[in-house]
Amino acid sequence: MLLFRGKEHIDRWCRQWGQPKGAMLTIDQGWQLARSWYQHKMEPDWQRPTLEQTETLLAQLDLTDPFWSLR
Amino acid sequence: MTTGFDIDVRLALYREFVQIGRAPSVDRIAKMLKAPHKDVEAALDRLAAGKAIVLQPESRAVLMANPLCAVPTPFLVRTGDQSFFGSCVWDALGIIAMLQQDGSLDSSCACCGEAMTINIHDAQLLPAEGVIHFAIPAKQWWENIVFT
Repeated sequence: MLLFRGKEHIDRWCRQWGQPKGAMLTIDQGWQLARSWYQHKMEPDWQRPTLEQTETLLAQLDLTDPFWSLR
Repeated sequence: MTTGFDIDVRLALYREFVQIGRAPSVDRIAKMLKAPHKDVEAALDRLAAGKAIVLQPESRAVLMANPLCAVPTPFLVRTGDQSFFGSCVWDALGIIAMLQQDGSLDSSCACCGEAMTINIHDAQLLPAEGVIHFAIPAKQWWENIVFT
């Protein structure tokens, strides 16, 4: 997951490196995703989220198109 | 299957990583827990199998105690007087989230190399320009987590 100055920079990077365009998030979406995924990682009762829990987490962030599908 | 000892190893790994700013060795974790070296190695293997951490393929040293990365990357996180590396922008922001402190991420545009900084204060993103690109669809992330 890389950082870019804007959409046109993603387009140029994808062309240059022969990579398909994936999904673009705002930085705030990325921050919310990072918080949801990692904020409890150092706690004793942390457990890796199940597939269903991960799907719920992604849906809460409106990441619901096929790119985010886990199945 | 994760055991109570695996939790002890995970907590020792993360706490020491945060304390000293780099991944502790197996020996160091074993000393912290007063446990046999081989037991710590086995626990790290189980944690890696459970995708809680990532080990180097040959040495089996810790490569990622996600979101912390044991090797330098273009994603430098500063919190207080400490600094850490994240494996990607998601993990770098995850370090700030995990430590629950104010922090900043110094990185650059992957296309043009222009410096970019993201600041988090009181768990809120301060105004920042830029976007994040996920190249790999979610269900393929763990096929090659280092590339992802």
